[in-house]
Amino acid sequence: MKRNEEKIAEFFLKYRDKVQNPIIKGFLANEDNLSLLKKYILNPTDANKSKVDKAFKQHYNRVLKIKYVSNLIYFFTMDYNIKRRKENDTVLLILDKSSEYDARTPLKDLIEDKNEEKHTLNRNLLDDIESERLIKALQTLTEKQLLILDLIYHKQLTLKEISEILKTTPQNISNLHRKSLKKLNQILSEEVQSKYDKE
Amino acid sequence: MTKNEEIISIINDFQPKIKKSLRETSFQDREDLEQEINTKIIEKLNTVKFRESPSFWSFLK
Repeated sequence: MKRNEEKIAEFFLKYRDKVQNPIIKGFLANEDNLSLLKKYILNPTDANKSKVDKAFKQHYNRVLKIKYVSNLIYFFTMDYNIKRRKENDTVLLILDKSSEYDARTPLKDLIEDKNEEKHTLNRNLLDDIESERLIKALQTLTEKQLLILDLIYHKQLTLKEISEILKTTPQNISNLHRKSLKKLNQILSEEVQSKYDKE
Repeated sequence: MTKNEEIISIINDFQPKIKKSLRETSFQDREDLEQEINTKIIEKLNTVKFRESPSFWSFLK
C-alpha cells in the first residue's frame, strides 16, 4: 500500500511543473479524474491511459464551451443593447416625436381631449365628493357660495375668470370664498364638538 | 451525458451571469433578451465546431 502512495507521489514530483498548468490543475481538481489518473499510475495499461485521456478531452471540451458561452453572453448583450438603442432613437412612435410647436413637447401632449370639457361641465363639486359630512355641510351654503367653491376647486378657474362669469369683482369673489370656507369650518368643527360632547 | 443535457447544464451554470447581463438593458427588454441569449447559446453549442482537444499526455511532455 505504501508502495502505491510512493508511486503516486513520485509521479506528481516528476511532473510538478506540468500539473500547475491551469487546465491540468482544473482537470485533477475533480475527484473522479484524479482517481482515474492514480489508477493509471499504479497500473499503466493502455486501457487506463485512454480512460484518463477520454476524461481529459471531455473536461477540455467543456472548458472551451464555457469560455465560448461566457464571451457569447457578454458580446450578445452588448450588441443587443446597441441595437435597441438605435431602434429607439430612429423608430419613434409617431406620437412620441417632438411637435412643431417646440422640441420638448411630444405630439401626444397636444392632442385635445374632447371629453374633458363635457366631463367637468356636467359634473359639479357635490358629484365628486365622497364624504357625506362634507356634502351635508356644503348644502347649508347659499347657492352662490356653492357655485363659487365649485368654480374654484372643481373647474379650477381663477378668481378673475370667475368674476367675469358672475359679473362682479375678483375681490368680491375672494370675500365670498373666504366666507364660505369659514362657514364650512364652523359647521364641521361644531359637528365634531357635539360628537365629543355626546361621548 | 448527452449533448442536450450538457447544453442544459451549461445554461444552468451560466444563469447568474445571464441575470447579471440583463441588468445592462432596459426593464421592458429583459425578458426578450434573456430568451434570446438562451436560444443563442443552444444554437451555438449545437453548430460551432470546437477545436479538437489535445491529449492529456501531451501536456506532460
